[in-house]
Amino acid sequence: MADNWGFVLAAYGLAAVVLLSYLRFLARGERTQTHRARSRVSEPLAPTSGHPRSKPASRPPLQ
Amino acid sequence: MIRPIGGVTLAALAAGLVMALGVAPREVTQGNVQRIMYLHVPSVWVAYLAFAVVLVGSIAYLGRRSEAADRVAHASAEVGVLFTGLTIATGSIWGKPTWGTWWTWDARLTSVSILFVMYLGYLLLRGMIEDRERGARYAAVVGIVAAFNIPLVHFSVYWWRTLHQPPSLMKPGPGTMPEVIVAALLVNFAAFSLLYVYFVARRVRLLRREAEAVG
Repeated sequence: MADNWGFVLAAYGLAAVVLLSYLRFLARGERTQTHRARSRVSEPLAPTSGHPRSKPASRPPLQ
Repeated sequence: MIRPIGGVTLAALAAGLVMALGVAPREVTQGNVQRIMYLHVPSVWVAYLAFAVVLVGSIAYLGRRSEAADRVAHASAEVGVLFTGLTIATGSIWGKPTWGTWWTWDARLTSVSILFVMYLGYLLLRGMIEDRERGARYAAVVGIVAAFNIPLVHFSVYWWRTLHQPPSLMKPGPGTMPEVIVAALLVNFAAFSLLYVYFVARRVRLLRREAEAVG
């Protein structure tokens, strides 16, 4: 029987492409998650006067 | 922990490739095209392993509502589908020069295709249901039911008359294969098993991060 090296290379080449594609999918997902986590940490806070404010419910009613 | 596994996996895959394409001898009847076996058989082994893990993870999830078990089942199903697809594709490439056809509705080929479609359905189901808990519960049921197809795939070559050859390695009784071929196959089994562990570990980590991000 003929050796059919072309079929062997096609099978191994296909496997390499499929496995590397999955590896890329994992790496891209991880990068996206890392990016999201970083952007959550560096989200700008609402501007304040620098003094802590009490919650409205804890303030005494106006006389 | 995942990075060292990746390094060992890469070394094992390189060793497997050398064994398959260099060390293993040319097969007498099929010629060099038989070297596809070192890719095809370990792929189906990993698919069996992955779906067995899905079964265990699904039972654990339904029993204890463990999110970790659900994540392992999800990741394992994804990797299992990947390797089942690879098994079908490499089998088809091997079939053309040896059987003279890319595809035939043979019992083994058909049952493995059903296995592929069932776990693809498992993944689609997970993606379709927005409620995470409900999706995990339904997927766990599918993960248990679909596992009944694994023995059907494996024993199909005994139960029906097929074009596909019976197992050479995973069968009872003494082996008939030359030692060097068995060694090449075992190295590739080990390499693919490590690759499975590496992929699942990374996918589980990613799923955990995604769940934490959603809250």
